[in-house]
Parts: sequence; C-alpha cells; structure tokens
Amino acid sequence: MFAYNAKLAFKSLNDRPSLTVLMVAAIAVGLGLFMTMLTLGHQSSKIPIPHISQQIHLVQLDNREVTADDVDNFNDMVDLTYQDTNNLLNLDIAGAEQTLAWNTYGILNVEQQEIQPQRSSVVATNHAFFSMFEVPFLYGKGWESDADQFGQAVIVLSKASNDYLFGGINSVGQQVRLNTQVLTVVGVLDDWFLVRKFYDRSYRQAGPDEAFVPSNFAFNNDLPRNARFDCWSTTNNPRKFSTNYLTELKTSECAWITFWAKLPQDNKQDYQAQLGQYIDTQKSLGRFPRDNQYFLTNINDQLIIINGSGGRQEMLGMISYMFFAVCLINAVSILLAKFMRRTKEVSLRRALGAKKRTILQQHLIEVIFIGVIGGLLGIGFTYLGLQAMLRVNLYASDYRNTVAELMPYHQMDWEMIMAAFSVSVGCTLLVGLYPIWRICNVSPASQLKAQ
Amino acid sequence: MEFRPIFLSIKHNKAIALLVIIQVAITLTVLSGSLLMTTSTLKEWNLPSGIPHHNIISAVPQFYDLDVDVRQSVVDDMARIKSLSGVINVSPASQRPFEAQGAQQVYLEATKEAQEYDTNVFTGNANLHKVLELSLIEGRFFREDEIITGKRDELSSTPPIVMISEDMAKVLFPDNNALGKTIWMEKGGSPAEIIGIYSNFMNGERLNYFGQSYRTVLQPLVTWENRNDPSYLIRVEAGMAEGMLETIRSELYKIDGRYVNRVEVLTRVQKRMYDGRGSQSIMLLVISFVLLLITAFGMAGLVSFLVTQRQKQIGTRRALGATKWDVVRYFMLENGILTSIGIIIGLVLSIAFAFVLTEDSGANILDMGYIFATAFFIIVINQLAVYFPAKRAANVEPAIVTRAA
Amino acid sequence: MLKMENVSKIYRTNLIETHALRKVDLHIGAGEFVSVTGPSGSGKTTFLNLAGLLETFEEGDFYLDGQNVKGLNDNQLSELRNEKIGFIFQSFNLLPELPLFDNVDVPLRYRGFNAKERKERIEEALEIVGLSSRKQHLPTQLSGGQQQRVAIARAIAGQPKFLLADEPTGNLDSLMAQQVMELLEKINQQGTTIIMVTHDDQLARRAHRNIQIFDGQVSDLAKDQTDVLIKSA
Repeated sequence: MFAYNAKLAFKSLNDRPSLTVLMVAAIAVGLGLFMTMLTLGHQSSKIPIPHISQQIHLVQLDNREVTADDVDNFNDMVDLTYQDTNNLLNLDIAGAEQTLAWNTYGILNVEQQEIQPQRSSVVATNHAFFSMFEVPFLYGKGWESDADQFGQAVIVLSKASNDYLFGGINSVGQQVRLNTQVLTVVGVLDDWFLVRKFYDRSYRQAGPDEAFVPSNFAFNNDLPRNARFDCWSTTNNPRKFSTNYLTELKTSECAWITFWAKLPQDNKQDYQAQLGQYIDTQKSLGRFPRDNQYFLTNINDQLIIINGSGGRQEMLGMISYMFFAVCLINAVSILLAKFMRRTKEVSLRRALGAKKRTILQQHLIEVIFIGVIGGLLGIGFTYLGLQAMLRVNLYASDYRNTVAELMPYHQMDWEMIMAAFSVSVGCTLLVGLYPIWRICNVSPASQLKAQ
Repeated sequence: MEFRPIFLSIKHNKAIALLVIIQVAITLTVLSGSLLMTTSTLKEWNLPSGIPHHNIISAVPQFYDLDVDVRQSVVDDMARIKSLSGVINVSPASQRPFEAQGAQQVYLEATKEAQEYDTNVFTGNANLHKVLELSLIEGRFFREDEIITGKRDELSSTPPIVMISEDMAKVLFPDNNALGKTIWMEKGGSPAEIIGIYSNFMNGERLNYFGQSYRTVLQPLVTWENRNDPSYLIRVEAGMAEGMLETIRSELYKIDGRYVNRVEVLTRVQKRMYDGRGSQSIMLLVISFVLLLITAFGMAGLVSFLVTQRQKQIGTRRALGATKWDVVRYFMLENGILTSIGIIIGLVLSIAFAFVLTEDSGANILDMGYIFATAFFIIVINQLAVYFPAKRAANVEPAIVTRAA
Repeated sequence: MLKMENVSKIYRTNLIETHALRKVDLHIGAGEFVSVTGPSGSGKTTFLNLAGLLETFEEGDFYLDGQNVKGLNDNQLSELRNEKIGFIFQSFNLLPELPLFDNVDVPLRYRGFNAKERKERIEEALEIVGLSSRKQHLPTQLSGGQQQRVAIARAIAGQPKFLLADEPTGNLDSLMAQQVMELLEKINQQGTTIIMVTHDDQLARRAHRNIQIFDGQVSDLAKDQTDVLIKSA
C-alpha cells in the first residue's frame, strides 16, 4: 500500500509541474532568507570559549569621584587604573588567574626588504592571557612570568601576521621589529576563531589582533595607548595620554586598562572578599571616595547585556520571518490548487474502496516529499544567501577584513542544517494541514455525478 | 455592482478568503517596512561633496622612528610632492573630507553654560582651500604668515582666527552677520575671530547621519605629536589621480623611518562613507522585489485555481447572459474586496512595525505617504494577478455547462 | 421565431473532421412546445448549444426572433441570450452559495434592471413555481425537484421569448418530473416557446411537435402533422 501511495504521490508531483515548481520555489526561497538570518543570528549569539566562559570575569573597580553618576551594569562602568592593575596582579590570589589587556599599535616589519611593513594592532598583556583564555598555538607558546616582570622584548604573532611576515614558517626565535624596537618571536597563534572579540571589550566579530607583547615592555618603551581614558574632572584633556604623559598617567586616577580574572566556581567568594579588602585598604589611603563598589561580570552575563540592543540585525530578522510567512501562505494556496483539482479522482477512489487513511497517506507523502526537496533547495539558497551577506559585509567594510576572517560568521554548522531541514518539513506539513484535510473529506462518488 | 453575491461567495469559501487577506496584510507590512527603512537610511545619502573629489589624493604617512624631525620632513614632503608632474597643489591636513572623526564642539560664549555646537575641525596650511577648491563667500582666506606650525604640546596658544563653512555660519549666526564674530573652540577657552566664510564641503559620516553635513571649521594650523603625523591632501590634474598613487607612495617612502598608511583618491574614501548604508538598502530592495514576485505569482496561481473550481459557475453565468467582461469584473471585484480588507489590516500592522523600527534606530521612520503608495501598488499587482487567469476562464465557451454532465 | 437554414457544426481536430450537425433546416414558430429526441451522441446537445447561442457554427444561417446571429460578436450574443432565452439544465446549475432569491437574480442583474424591478420579477417568478416561502434558503437545503423549479424561476424571471430545456427531468423521480412538466406546460400556455431535449419518449409526446436527431441530421415529426422531413447529407 505504501509503495502504491508513494507512486501516486510521485506521479502527482509531475502532474502540473508548474504548480509543483512554484510551490517548491516558494518554500525554498522563503526558507533561504529565513535561515540566512537565523544562521547569522545564531553565530552572533554564540558565546566565546563556552566551556570556561562562566569562569572568566571582567574586573572593574569604581574609583570615580563622588559626584559621578551611579552605574548599574558593567557596560557603563570604567576599567582599571595603572595603579590598581599592578596592585591586583601583585595580590596573587590563590586559585585565581589574572590578566590585563590594553591595545597599542605600531609598524611591524622584518629584515627582508620585499616584505613591506604592516601597520598592526598589538595587545599589551601578561603571560596569564594565553592560559586563561586557552589560546591555541601553532608554534611555540606564550612567554613566562619573568618576561612580564622585566618587560622583555618578546612577541607572539597571530597566524595572519606570521603568514605575512615570515611566509607561515615556524618563526620562533626569529626577530621582528615593532617600529624601531627589536623583539624575538616566542610563539605563533593558530587560527583562533573568537565568536566575539571579548578580551578588549569590543565584542566585534573579528579575529585576534596581529601581535601580543608583555605590558611592561609596552610601558617601558612608551608605546602609544589606544584606549579611552576615564579620568576625574581635575584632569584636562585625557586624550593626551594616548601618546604622551606616561608618568602622569601612571599615578593618575585615570581608568583605562581592561582586567580579567579566571575564577573557578568555588573561588569566586574568596576573590570577591579580597577585592573588598583591597578597596578598603585603598580607601584609607584616600582613594575610592565612593561606596565600596566593584563589578565582577562573567562573559555569559556580559553578552546578555550586550546583545540586548539588536538594531539593524533585528529588523532584518523580523522582515525575514514575515517574508517566510508570506511564502508559506502562498504555498498553502498552491497546494490547495493542486489537491482540489483531483477531487474527482479521489472521490472515485473512495467509491472504489479506498479508506480515508490511505488518501491521507498518499497526500502526506506528497507533502513531505515537497518539504524535503524544498529543504534541500532551501539549504542551497541559504548557502548563497550567506555568501551574499559575506560579500556585502566585505564590501561595506571596504575590504579591510579578509574572507577568511569573516567566513566563520557566515557559515552553517550541522546544527543549522538540521534546523533548516526540520523547519522545511515542519512548515510544509503545517502548510499541508488544510489542503490535506479538504481532500480527505471528499465523500465517495460525490464528484462523480454533477451536483 | 454585485456586492451581495460576492460577499456570499466569500463566506462560502472562508479559508481561501482568509489566506488572501493574511497574505496581503503581511506583504504590505514587509514592503512598507523595507521602503521606510531604505528611505530613512538613504536620506542623507550620496550628497554632493562640494569638492573635486575625483582629483584629490589623500596620503597618511606615519613615522615610527621618533627621532625624525617632523617639521623638516613636512616641508620636504611638500616640496617633493609639489614638484611631481601632475600635482597642482598640496597641503597637510589633520583629517580628510568624508572621514572626519568624531564631532568637536564650538561655543558662542565663554561661559560655562554656553550652548555647544557640533562641528568638524579641519586644520591645514594656506594651500588647503586651494586643494579643496573652496570658494570664498565672505571675508578672506588665511595668509602664509598666519599658519601656526609645531608639535601640539609645544604650542603656546591656539590660532586666534578661524574660517567657517556656509552652513556653519547659518547655524551659529542665523541673521547672517558671522564675519568678524568670535567663537570659542573650547569650553571657556581658545577664542577665535571668524575672518572668512567658505563654500560647503562634506565632513563625515558622524554628522552626516544626523543631517549635519557640511558643518566645518578651518584652522590655520599644522601640528603633530608622537606618532600622530599630518596627512596630506594632494590636488592633481584631471584624470591623473589613479595613476599617481604609486608615484606618491614611493616619493613618501624616500624619507626613512616612516610607514605610508594609505594613499588613495578621495573617491574611495567617499565610497566607504556611503557603503554601509548603500549596501543595506540594496539588500532590502532585493528582498522586497523577490517578495513581490512571489506574492504576484502566488496570487495568480490561487486565482487560477479558484476560477478552475468555478468553471461551471462561470459557464452558467455566461449562459444566463454575462459578457466576458462581466465575468472578469466579478473576479476582480471579489479579489479587490479581499485585498482591501487585507490592506486595512496591513496598514495597522505597518504603522506598528514602523514604530518598532523607529524605536530601534532612533530616527523617525513613519511616513504615511510611503505606506499608502505601497498599499496602492499591492492593489494594482493583485488586480493584475487576477485579471489574466480570469480573462482566460471567461474565454471558455459557455457550452461547457451543457457538456459537463 | 427560430429559423435555421443549412446549419452545420464541424469539429476539426488534427486530422479528423467530425460533423456534429449536418445541414440542418429547421423552423420553430412562436408559442410552440417542441421536444427534441435522439440517441446519445446524435447531436442533441450540439443542437441545443447552437440554439442557445452557446456555441458558434461553421456553415449556414440562423435567425433568432428575426435577427441573423451570424455576424454578432460575443457581447451581442450574451445580450441576446440574456434577453431572449431562458435555460434549464439537467444538473440545475444553481450557484451553491447563493440563496434562492439571489440565484434567480443573476440574469436580471446582467439585464440591468433596477433593484425594485428585479425584486418584483423574482418574487413573481418564485410564486409561479411555488417556492416563494423559501426564497432565503440555499440550494443544498432543497430537493432535486425544488432545485429544478428554482432553475425554472430563474429562466422565466426575465420573461424570455423562449426556453431551452436540456433533460429537465433527467435527475428527478417521476412525481417531481410530473410537477416540472406541468409547470413547463403552464409557461408554454402563457406564450413562451419551449424547446426541450429529452430521452424520455413519454415526455416527448407531451410536446406539440417532436424533432428527431440522428447522426447529426434532423428529422421533424409533428404530433398532429404527418409530414416527415428528411434531409440527406
């Protein structure tokens, strides 16, 4: 019986090919747009390093003036001052790993004349960065803690930088110049797909920076500071600290360094207590005039707050939902048209002994078949759609990002492909509900005699 | 007009009627939403630049060797570039048109509560206005001896004179007497006298997005600080810009210790300024177009089905004296009623959607004109989608009633 | 009233030419009640279609109420149909979603009568067929005989010059058939010409005159006439 019904279903698909094509097209196109938006959203909402993200906390201390506005979430809170960064690092709390990160920039260049210098964005950090965030290495590894202490001239390159400067070979031990300083390469990163660039709080969908150096090295050589300085009102023109006035910056109350702590669950309370104590100590020295306030926000919570504002993406998302709905409604009409053309045949079959159930099965098979084809095509369209979005984003950023960088954000993983299939078949079944109900309720022989 | 039979017919076929109504409502919402988004995004888009941007090249050199004498190299660079064939003029500049960084504020009074006015400040030497080909509206341009040059933190004072653009003058001094007035470049400090007003040129995306394009101030200043060197704007002869990019780049590399960041024609910078919004709008338009196609075809398919179902009825009516046009008109009217109901629901949804979009993007999107235009368009498309299948059905010979037994 | 001269209807498909009607010569006068009989496939339906202006013909001339229909375009034919002819079908062909009142209304709307005039005519027609009390009911709520009576009401509401009935009792039991025939006779007595196609010889004999069609040819047997008209091919 099943084979017979399947044969009938298949024949019916070929019956009015234009209608079949129209229906499959409607579902596939709608699905394509819908899944494109869904995939982009899915990639956007992923959490970086999800297996440890809950342990990674952004540390913020409120060292602002009494007159400053109250703040209730980390997004509006300031980072750390130079003093507090050093003090916290020196506290050396058991079980907790701490790191700092701030951005600098410079010209990376190598001996070979043929390779032109490259303006690069560099992260000034400490050795803990690489272990805390489980950064993948292709060659070598991060530097040791004594490199931090003495501000040694060592550098870790990103895979892209290494490819550009050294042709991708193992460059550990080689020398590279940042502006006029000479540094030794100790490690080269592997592809590091950051769902969001969280370590500098930009949360952009981008790859890692071009290089990493010890923070003290950056300070010792007065490398420029690409940061926002939140200073007290007594400091005029904070922007000057980007390229100058390092001594003044070090002793000021200007907050600008991003600070992270990795706290396994049982350590969190401990760490919090230590922070509280530290602030109290500082208070007695005349700092931290506000009420004892610090923020410890892990990555998951940060993303919840950040993702609150949807903007453009949300609007496109809503439009794609509605687009899909219209496509489905059209599919219902077309399916209805297909089925109702055959009322005479169905009526005859029922008169000849077919049960309602078998009529149901026959048409269910047809609907599912359409759903599967629509799904396959739809996945194809989704792929095209994502490629198109990739090109659009490339074009819009004036080709400053490479295809390789943006690709992971515009890809379907198996989860999405499965989702596409289920959506397609599920929605097609939904679409088929009414038409199937109508055709199954055709009474035997009712259509055989006119009226 | 036979409304009653049509209403009864709609009642008889409630499911189909509902499908049509919902489809029309949602299609209207999506299309009008896209249209509103696009028009609001493109509101300040692709405005005239006010300068011959095809013939201006921008170069951004940067010293990484801190021991270099920047002052001398600027002088050398100017001389070198000016001597290249094809170059008409060159000036150092703190930023480029189309790419002005965040807004700066200027004030009309020296008090602490003075109202701030957003603007973009461009600094350069006495040649800057020649490079940009600005015309003089009132007053005069800067003289050579008025240009202040030096390392930013070594300067003792800020220039006592400025020039402002036409639009800036209108904003600051609505009664047209800007010339000779004083504005303060910082809150409570750095007063400067307006010695001239020049023709408008595009500042950058920040102010453009808020409808404040062309608000600029010129200062006679050439400054630098650690690793923040002056960029250069170079006016070349028509048609030569693309070809000269490499020449200029190698010319700049003749001084050691520097990295040449970008050498490009201003056309490219302009493209970057408008790209994001442009591509977004095109995407929306493509999606809308595809949706329209799907709706039209779907509607045609549905009507095709309906008329086939009612072939007998059509035959009967024809036998009873209906002309072909009577039949076509009947279906167009029936669809017209359903479409209208869908439109009404869609109008409500569209307005609601527009409100959501407004909240999201911060700019006021709602424009009833566009929504109505979209509604009208949908009605036309639907009627066309009905016309052809109905016409086809009406052409069938009425003899079908006696034959189909 | 209705005059056909040498009318032929030819179906051409690819290589085959079928003569559904061959050179038909026929004259039906006003007020006559004519029955048309013949075996299946003989051309009865084609004849009816031509008579009712539902189909066009290839050869010959056809005068309806004195007017030559040959050169008329589709719109003119529709108008003529609407004004001069009333149809009654074997399968009733009522519009299922309209109540009886609105079903009878359909041809009147195309005629262009105003609302008051239409209402009068509809009510009168329903009165004649005896269904005034059910004018708001839907066709599905009626028996076969009642539906056919509504169809008759629809046919006569516009006071056409003649009625074309295609197997009007074909779907009815003998009692209802009787009722319908009596109605038709009553209408005929009031002056309307009736042409009725039927299988039923008994019914055929109730008409004044009987026309037989066989293989596309018409032979005319008058009830009280002894002329036999046979045309050869």
